[in-house]
Amino acid sequence: MSDDPQGEREPVRETPAEARERQSHYTDPDSRLTDRLAVIISALVGLVVTGLAYWWAQGFAIFTENLYRVQPTIEGGGVGSDWNAGNTDPMLDAMIALIHAVDVIMGMAILVFVFLHWAAFRRLAARMRQPGERRSDAVAADGGRSSPAESGARQAGSDDGGTDADNGGEPG
Amino acid sequence: MTSLDHGKFTRVTTVFHSLLALDVFLLFFSGYAIMFNDELWWLVEALGGSMGVIAVHRVAGLGLITLTVFWMTLLIITPGGRDNFGTVLPGRDDVEAAIQDVKFALGYADERHPNARQFAGYKADEVPLLSYVGKGVVWIFAVELTLLMISGLLIWSKTGIISLFTTKASAMAFVAFHGFLGIVMLMGVMFHIFEHGTHPAFYPVEMKAFLPKDITPEYHAEDEDHDTTGIEDLELSPTWNWAVNLFGLMVVIGIVSVLVGSIFDETYPIPRELTVGGGPTNLLLTIGINVGILVLFIGLVLSMYGNVMRRRYERQLAEERRATTAADGGETSDD
Repeated sequence: MSDDPQGEREPVRETPAEARERQSHYTDPDSRLTDRLAVIISALVGLVVTGLAYWWAQGFAIFTENLYRVQPTIEGGGVGSDWNAGNTDPMLDAMIALIHAVDVIMGMAILVFVFLHWAAFRRLAARMRQPGERRSDAVAADGGRSSPAESGARQAGSDDGGTDADNGGEPG
Repeated sequence: MTSLDHGKFTRVTTVFHSLLALDVFLLFFSGYAIMFNDELWWLVEALGGSMGVIAVHRVAGLGLITLTVFWMTLLIITPGGRDNFGTVLPGRDDVEAAIQDVKFALGYADERHPNARQFAGYKADEVPLLSYVGKGVVWIFAVELTLLMISGLLIWSKTGIISLFTTKASAMAFVAFHGFLGIVMLMGVMFHIFEHGTHPAFYPVEMKAFLPKDITPEYHAEDEDHDTTGIEDLELSPTWNWAVNLFGLMVVIGIVSVLVGSIFDETYPIPRELTVGGGPTNLLLTIGINVGILVLFIGLVLSMYGNVMRRRYERQLAEERRATTAADGGETSDD
């Protein structure tokens, strides 16, 4: 710079008009790149870069938000979503429906068996000696005890599993 | 003639049956106090509150695993056990027995099929180890207990099952599944109590499951050649008539109520809104489910009564033996 011949010159004082003239020309007057065009291009580049920066920052911002923010909605994968997933699982639904069906079918079958046995027991009971009733052949089958003791033993026998009847018809 | 019918089971079997009954009743009382807590709030309190009832259920559940594994091992390692496995397999006889039971109940058949007959009477040899209902009970128990034990162990730890099945709601589904599985057994056991508690020849309890076969007399009369079971020679208990009707009604109400309750008291899928159960709208269901629990309680009492009868009978046999010895020595005896 020191060997620059212009550097040794006295500074030339600019007139205000000259200064205005100089400030308005950032570009070479002979170039096709006019000041206006340069300003427009720069503005566009600035806007584009700002847009890209915003787009990048926006994307980055969404990422962090998803990472750290609690979203209580099911769609947002929030606290209720695993309940919903388990509550609407087709496999579990099918399993519960199946066991309900088994319960109902078995329940109906068991009820049929209850009524069947109820009726059968009534028929069997009708064949037995009614309380207090005496039959001559029954006495002999029991081992030959006389009737009054026999009657008592029957009752005791059916009440405690027949041990007394086994014993020979002694009232328990 | 006696209402003490032919013995079919060994002492191991009868003791096992009593222990299994006690354990299963405890599981029913605690398990359905949890599932039907709206209707059986008093049972939850009686079993030590919400924590106590779960503890009872878990201890009884472990007991069930011990009993079941013991029984399976015995079935596999003993020749008698392996033989019995064959007799539990259902056959054509059992289907015929079921059909004949329908006919008998409707009055179209004169006798129950030997595979259905509970009171064998004179005909000990014709009656199989298990009736067709007995075989059904064994199979249902086998399948149900296996599934109940697996699902019960799975839901033992809620956090464990959440890690296995990803979500909390699926863990709840397994709890619900476990409860609904037991409903079949709950209904079946009510029928089982009815079947062996109200048979007119055995009322109030059939002793076959409590008296081991080695001390049960195998004869009913000198003359074994009879056409009938000889049930006509037995006298009906004076209380049988109303007892069978009352207990039958209770069993039907109990079965229907737990079935309806299992559908309406569903815990899966978990409702969006908090539903408050109980109240006057559920009064019938509350009464019905409590009747069902009462049926089970009667079953527990009958199971204990059967064992009391067994003790009394064993003591009586011992006394008889002593009396016989005394008679040999010259003393007189009543028997």
